[in-house]
Amino acid sequence: MRVVVVLLICLSAFSTTAAVDRATQAALNDIDSSVTPATKPAGTTLKRSESSGESPRIEWLPLLSLFAPMLAAAVAVGVAGGIAGTFVLLRREALLALAMPQVVAVGAAVGLRNHWPTLPPAIVAAAGALIFLVTSRRRGSGPWVLPALYIAGLSISFLVIASKGQDVADLQKLFTGIDVAVAPSDAALAVPILLVVGITLAVLWRRWLLMAQAPAAAELAGLHPARWDALFLILLTTILLMGTNVLGVVMVLAMLFLPAATALPWARSVPVALIAAAVLALIFLGVGFAVSNLMQWPLSQTIGGVGFGFVVVSHLGARFL
Amino acid sequence: MTLIQVQNAMFGYGGKPVVRVDSLELRRGHCLGIFGPNGAGKTTLVRGITGLLPMMSGRVERQPGVELRLGYLPQHRAMELHWPMTGFDAAAMSISARRLFGWVRRDASAVLTSMRNLGVESLKHRPFGKLSGGQQQRLLLAGALAAEPNILVLDEPTDGLDVQSRRSLLDLLADCAARGLCTVVISHDVEDLLQLSDEIAWLHPAEHAGESSRCESISPEHFAERMLQTRRIK
Repeated sequence: MRVVVVLLICLSAFSTTAAVDRATQAALNDIDSSVTPATKPAGTTLKRSESSGESPRIEWLPLLSLFAPMLAAAVAVGVAGGIAGTFVLLRREALLALAMPQVVAVGAAVGLRNHWPTLPPAIVAAAGALIFLVTSRRRGSGPWVLPALYIAGLSISFLVIASKGQDVADLQKLFTGIDVAVAPSDAALAVPILLVVGITLAVLWRRWLLMAQAPAAAELAGLHPARWDALFLILLTTILLMGTNVLGVVMVLAMLFLPAATALPWARSVPVALIAAAVLALIFLGVGFAVSNLMQWPLSQTIGGVGFGFVVVSHLGARFL
Repeated sequence: MTLIQVQNAMFGYGGKPVVRVDSLELRRGHCLGIFGPNGAGKTTLVRGITGLLPMMSGRVERQPGVELRLGYLPQHRAMELHWPMTGFDAAAMSISARRLFGWVRRDASAVLTSMRNLGVESLKHRPFGKLSGGQQQRLLLAGALAAEPNILVLDEPTDGLDVQSRRSLLDLLADCAARGLCTVVISHDVEDLLQLSDEIAWLHPAEHAGESSRCESISPEHFAERMLQTRRIK
């Protein structure tokens, strides 16, 4: 019954999108007639039909080809993020997932300032934060650690490149994800890593369940809960690091939280939740990509908006059905 | 047969003593109750006698040639019920702890057999969070027994159960002990301890800062007398 309801939610979202498309096509037509080709947003291929007065149509194949590296990276972030996000919500690690991309941004800012590649300093920043987190957890440090990391990352990343005009703009793009462009080499590195990490997290689902429910049972069986906790943080940080570096903070967080938040009210077991979250992430990406091109909206924010709509519908459905 | 013998041992963390034990024994078919206020070192004592925590001084001897398999029955009230899991998933946790990646496909039949023995096989597809406390506790016990432990540690096993579920669980635990399983019951419930235990480790908290708690080993009869005296004085 619940699966049917989820499918209905997905179908209704698609039909809503289609309705929006028809309504916006007329507006796009008007805009298209008043905008010269030189001022059209890059990456969107609008083509006027032969007969005058018809709606402009998007040539999807060239568009998909143009955005192939970004879409491949987004699919990998969607699958890995959907899986990781399910565990993040179940383990109540949301603040960690929010703070870590800010820390990654500090590394990226150092890279931008020195005209280095952004990934190596981002890895160093994430590793430093991770070591600090793991040791502070072992010492039982208070709840100040993650909020402090969040604010520190947000502030220091901009202080590092203050008064460096173009670099500040690049960092803002990293945070907002408004201009998502991924080089093929970046995608070739990020996609396999993200997929392997996502699948590893999924394969170990019974381990995460055990560590959350009965760490004492794990300890009596000879396992080390602290080490498994550290492994989870490393896998999660890898996803946040690779995802943030290629697609920006907004896209990563949208893919991490929203598919899992949509799937969890309906899932009766962890594997079902993981599969549903990964599939929903791909649906959000597909719908978000289509809407962002039709509406000339920024991609990350559109995916976030679509995802949030699904979350609201899902939770309302779970509450009233 | 003695599985573990503890003599004049001190257990603690980071060089700081937490609990001192003069003498304790875990034997097959024997139930050791652990009683004491919060913070007295009950968990430290269990970790110490099961070998998870290295002793600071004294002696902990294990029966040579006997592989110790430790099982654990968590408090059902401590479970995080927002995790989506079925009755089978909950029961399979103990056995998954003994597998490299937690996979239990090969052991599914052992878990199901144990669930059948405890009369909870029909709950295998039901959401764990929607079951009653008694059903949850039986599922967890079935899972713990499926891993075939020779020492089973139970943490407040009857906490939050209704009278009938409590009675049923205590009978099951008595059956397990009768079949040779060594059980260690951590409980604040005096009645449970009197009904199940062959020996009770009573933890008396330290009176001064820097001192350790003291573990006194007494018989259930002696424990009952002392508890009655305490009530009369109050």
